[in-house]
Amino acid sequence: MENTNWILQLLGRLHPLLVHFPVGLLVVAFALELITIKKKSTGLREGITWMVYIGAISATLSALFGWFLKTQDEYSGDLVDNHQYTGIATAVLAIITALLLKNSLKKAVVNLIAYRFMLGVTFVLLSIAGHLGANLTHGEDYLTEILPGKKEVYSNKESGALLSELKGVSELSDLQKDKLSLEVRGLFAHKCYQCHSENKQKGNLILDSKEGVFKGGKTGLAVVPGNPEESEIYKRIILPANNKKVMPTKGKLLTADEVALVKLWIKEGAHWSDAEVKVFPEATLALKQPTLPKSSKENHPLDKLINVYFDKNSINWQDAVNDRKFIKRAYLDVVGLLPKPEAIDAFVNNNNPNKREVLIDELLSDSENYTQHWLSFWNDLLRNDYSGTGFITRGRFQITDWLYHSLKENKSYDAMVSQLMNPTKKSEGFIKGIKWRGVVNSSQSTEMQAAQNIGQSLMGVNVKCASCHNSFVSNLTLDQAYGFASIFAKEPLELNRCDKPIGKIAKVDFLYPELGSVDGKTLQERLLKLSKVMVNKENGRLYRTITNRIWERLMGRGIIEPVDEMDNTPWNAEVLDWLAADFIDADTDLKHLIKRIMTSKAYQMPTVNYKKQKDLKKDYVFKGPVLRRLSAEQFSDAISQVISPVYVAVAYNPNEDKMPAQRIWHHQKDLTNTVLPLPGKRYFRKTFELKKENIKQASVLISVDDSYKLYINGTPIGTGSNWTEVGKYDVTNVLVKGANVIAIEGNNEGKIGNPASILFAMKVAFDGGENFELFSDETWKSTDEKPNNNWVDLNFEPKRWKKVKNYRTSNWAKLLDFTFKEHQKTFARASLVKQHSFLKALGRPNREIVVTKREEQATLLQALELTNGAFFNGVLKQGAKKWLDVYGNNTEVIVDTLFQKLLGRHPSSEEQKILIGAIGNQPNVEQIQDVFWSVLISPEFQFIN
Amino acid sequence: MEKQNSRREFLKKMTAASIAASTTTISMSSFLSSCSPEVQKRAATADSVILLWMAGGMAHTETFDPKAYVPYEKGVESKRILSTFPKIPTVVDGLEFSEGLEGIGSVMDKGAIIRSYKSADLGHILHTRHQYHWHTCYEPPQSVQAPHIGAWIAKELGPVNPVIPPFISIGQRFTMGEAEELKAFHSAGFLGTEYGPFLIPDPSSGLDSVRPPKGMSLKRFESRYKLYKELVNKSEIMEKGSNYQRESLMRSMEQSYRLLNSPEAKVFDLSQEPKEVYDTYNTGRFGLGCLLAKRLAMNGGRFISVSTEYEPFLGWDTHENGHIRAKDMKALIDRPISQLIKDLDETGHLDKTLIILASEFSRDAIMEGRPGELVKNQVNQPDVIEDEKHYGMHRHFTDGSSILMWGGGVEKGLVYGKTADERPCSSIEKPVVIDQIHQSVYHALGIDSQTNYEIEGRPFYTTPDGKGTPILDLFGKPMSALQEKIV
Repeated sequence: MENTNWILQLLGRLHPLLVHFPVGLLVVAFALELITIKKKSTGLREGITWMVYIGAISATLSALFGWFLKTQDEYSGDLVDNHQYTGIATAVLAIITALLLKNSLKKAVVNLIAYRFMLGVTFVLLSIAGHLGANLTHGEDYLTEILPGKKEVYSNKESGALLSELKGVSELSDLQKDKLSLEVRGLFAHKCYQCHSENKQKGNLILDSKEGVFKGGKTGLAVVPGNPEESEIYKRIILPANNKKVMPTKGKLLTADEVALVKLWIKEGAHWSDAEVKVFPEATLALKQPTLPKSSKENHPLDKLINVYFDKNSINWQDAVNDRKFIKRAYLDVVGLLPKPEAIDAFVNNNNPNKREVLIDELLSDSENYTQHWLSFWNDLLRNDYSGTGFITRGRFQITDWLYHSLKENKSYDAMVSQLMNPTKKSEGFIKGIKWRGVVNSSQSTEMQAAQNIGQSLMGVNVKCASCHNSFVSNLTLDQAYGFASIFAKEPLELNRCDKPIGKIAKVDFLYPELGSVDGKTLQERLLKLSKVMVNKENGRLYRTITNRIWERLMGRGIIEPVDEMDNTPWNAEVLDWLAADFIDADTDLKHLIKRIMTSKAYQMPTVNYKKQKDLKKDYVFKGPVLRRLSAEQFSDAISQVISPVYVAVAYNPNEDKMPAQRIWHHQKDLTNTVLPLPGKRYFRKTFELKKENIKQASVLISVDDSYKLYINGTPIGTGSNWTEVGKYDVTNVLVKGANVIAIEGNNEGKIGNPASILFAMKVAFDGGENFELFSDETWKSTDEKPNNNWVDLNFEPKRWKKVKNYRTSNWAKLLDFTFKEHQKTFARASLVKQHSFLKALGRPNREIVVTKREEQATLLQALELTNGAFFNGVLKQGAKKWLDVYGNNTEVIVDTLFQKLLGRHPSSEEQKILIGAIGNQPNVEQIQDVFWSVLISPEFQFIN
Repeated sequence: MEKQNSRREFLKKMTAASIAASTTTISMSSFLSSCSPEVQKRAATADSVILLWMAGGMAHTETFDPKAYVPYEKGVESKRILSTFPKIPTVVDGLEFSEGLEGIGSVMDKGAIIRSYKSADLGHILHTRHQYHWHTCYEPPQSVQAPHIGAWIAKELGPVNPVIPPFISIGQRFTMGEAEELKAFHSAGFLGTEYGPFLIPDPSSGLDSVRPPKGMSLKRFESRYKLYKELVNKSEIMEKGSNYQRESLMRSMEQSYRLLNSPEAKVFDLSQEPKEVYDTYNTGRFGLGCLLAKRLAMNGGRFISVSTEYEPFLGWDTHENGHIRAKDMKALIDRPISQLIKDLDETGHLDKTLIILASEFSRDAIMEGRPGELVKNQVNQPDVIEDEKHYGMHRHFTDGSSILMWGGGVEKGLVYGKTADERPCSSIEKPVVIDQIHQSVYHALGIDSQTNYEIEGRPFYTTPDGKGTPILDLFGKPMSALQEKIV
């Protein structure tokens, strides 16, 4: 048997040669066949026929030889199997095709349909088999690796350059030896560390330390200085791809240049340089303040720089968008709201050539709306207003109040950063992180969270990887991460590698020690130092990072992307550094930065269309702003503005009228525990004493989930069936001196247990200036049994009624309208609202972690929320009723007003026609509701164009 | 990071599914998958998964792994209490359950039991942390948001039936204690909300989430969509040419419209069931959840979880009256679960549906945590029991619990692993950790064990570092099944 094996093996190895015949012949046959279909040019027939015949035979032989190759050379794996099956199938189909052709040609009337179809199928299968085969020989990412967007893993240009530099040099200088060593170490880092590092010591081999490299691994000495052939590393990297022992086993093999480099390094004595290997590109810390080009037809400094960039990239300036588009953009970007139709008209008709800058100034000085828009950006970035874990053991602090006021006062960025680093009680939440109950992974200690978040949010560097092991994506080391985290610890932390202590204590240091020392005896001392080091003007990274973020917000794509990886290459370093330097010159005034960008022509150009998301990633060239989708908050606020308030209650109310009223309900228990209130009617009573007579004024506020009937002293006062609508009643005439009683019948709707509550407040003012206040609390009584009819009266005796339960406020928010004060707020800005399923569906994150970019693409769950969500449809219905009251049932007026308010323009006559056609001239509530929906869902409304 | 095409594929499949009822079924995806360097799809023994979640920590000694029975009497010592119910036989020789689980016992010839699951040691017990760990395979907190196992499956496999969302979570509300912690893992995390759970807290109103808004007739629903389409077509924004963001928006709207307009929405309608079937399942919300899961599994659900619902101190979270509460819980689950197995078996769906019953950890009368790693006691348990409310399993035990599996290629009648018969009733044979459970599920579904997603420049695997391995014993002879499928 042994004798014949070599023949089979030889034939098998001819497979890669032979396969080119069927590939070539059948593909050409198929192509020619396509030509004949229309033209009926019979001249080709004979040639095609032979191609098909020979193709079929060679396909069969290829399949057979392929099978020899597989069995003799012991190939295996899914890829091989799939190649085999498709290859065999191709051969079979090719034969069938050939037979069909032969048969058809024999007949009097030649009918080629079956044959042509089969040839087509064969062609498809052949392509797949061929592709799989190519994957086998060239590697599976042979084709895909060069596609744009595929992350460039490592470029070996340097190895080639160095190699040619060292070639022919008889004796290497020390400098050249160092260079060679560093190059090889860089190569190890990219190609070997994944398996051979202190983190992962496959085959006991460690290549990220000198000791490790020269100690070698399980199979012997990795490096024998001076003798490549004896060195295990060299032996393994020169093996062919299909050898089981070849290195690296994961990823691409080393290129010839890389192999030569390793060989040279070993041959030259394997010199080890102790210099730090900066494997990954790293941005310089300091800003380069470029000088502006002197002669430029552009006025705005940014445009001057971009003009140079445009010239270099042969891009033309586009005309700025028209006034209508501009005012909408400016409103949404600065205050997050839509401009009113009157404001649009006034702006369009304004002849001041400077009106755009004036508008930007006006909007920026509307500090309340500016704050309530930008709050969301900062909440995402600083992981604040967080609805997520960690509250259970009070392991989480919000900084909303501090943040709100910082924005409202337009605190400088420097001041904000300093106050986050060296915080007061109000701003400590950012560096305090989230503390879970129990033991957590050491890379998620609160100190490490501080390091990670400062790194990501403020410095644009990923500390997360390095907090577990030396990073694979940046130059950061475990030592650096722990040194940074130790600033926030009571005492320096012990290093943990992949959650295992390694017996080394961190040396307190900032990520970039050149900016200054942060060491100190006490935590306070260190934080104070950090707060200064961070805003050191040499720390260009800090300013570049925020500048890039604001640019991304306003233009749709950062100058550097991803915005958290500030070591990546910007599309234009001058623009970024000039802006950042300008920001510093303006005392880090955030509004100045926003204005600087918005007044540029670059910002005012029309949006550029991209067919694919990946066009915005690698090799991006700036041509103008990118289309941006309205954020969850902008969308919600726009509906509140135009249709009907989406939210009327907030989690944080900067102008709160604080009252001790509690959200109470009948105490629902199972055996012993509190459970969610079951559906059904519950009855509540509270008696109280008024000691004086002369009541000047008495008012009541009430909000009940789901509905209520309110009685005082037996008199029906009012009813309500929507907890978001505060019932406000004047009860001056029902109250008496002495005993009074409040009685409320509350109803919890639904089929299963769900949150229910009463929130109640009463204020009585007597002549003479005295006041009496009463709030819902646990002194109230309730029952779930239907009482006698006189239960609302004072003289009723509530037997077996029980103490109510305070169900807390977490399922409801603070109603803006639950106040005795006069106020004009008609709706709650979404940025102040507690996370809600509607906002969540539209992409507002839970902020368990820092979020610097929201999901860009629409999702099915989001679309479902918009299509059948009870909440959204409820708001639209409410709005439709209001509109019908205000504008009457006149379609033309309604449509025109709606377009002006939502889209900032009048409808075209065609649009008018469509809408009137759909809902007639006298629409009802439902029809108006559906018109709202159709416009709100439309891309024109959903995108900032 | 460049894995943005799945929605397009979803749509493609959706259109394909609607036209291609009869056309040839040569699966191109199996060829194409080998072009993708990262994900190599393997032969699957299951198409769908139903996770029956025993929320709150189900005591193994009171349910599927009974120990010596000590009946209640005044003055009994706590340390003697291992089980508060007598043992009962099951249909499998030598396999005994706790009284009250006769129904599930009768279907054990169709499934397997793992008796040696060890939960993680996370220090001071917090249910939602262990639940997070069970469902994501990662210990919270994480520096990125870890996806739920259902989200991974939704991402990798997409829906079975294009109009049924691939990840459906039934029974859990988010309005009581630890709500935020619960939300943290009912999430697709960094995979994106696209793959997040479709939440149905109340199975009897599941239909509401898949049909036109309440009070809107089908006709109105259709004309509303038509109006939107007409306006879009006339809009000047469409003249600017193709844009990926705009198209993604319009695609998702279309998809949602089709889903809500689909006759298949009635899968979610429990009133379609005959009364006697409905009544058999209806032991409460959990039982109806099982009924909905059955309907979904039979009609192309991918990953469906049904929870007994976690609320602090309720359900399986017995902090006192443990015996009585356990009895109630068994009555809640026994009939619907056994009926679910039987129904799926009779209709042939069990072969392709992997059913898992599990809990975040177990309970014990005395031990909190695990031997050698005791944690802070959360319940005061007297040494001598004078009041029946102290009779039961009131502390959290993490060193041994039971996981049951049926269908989807799981070996029938298998008993895997063992716990000690004396306290601590720890896993003493073939201990199993969560990575193995996840990889076993992925194995059954044909999802490669090295499946990962690049986030912030590093690969994030379905199980930490991609290290977990499936428990092959659960699947009898997995290799031959694999061969068959490829041919």
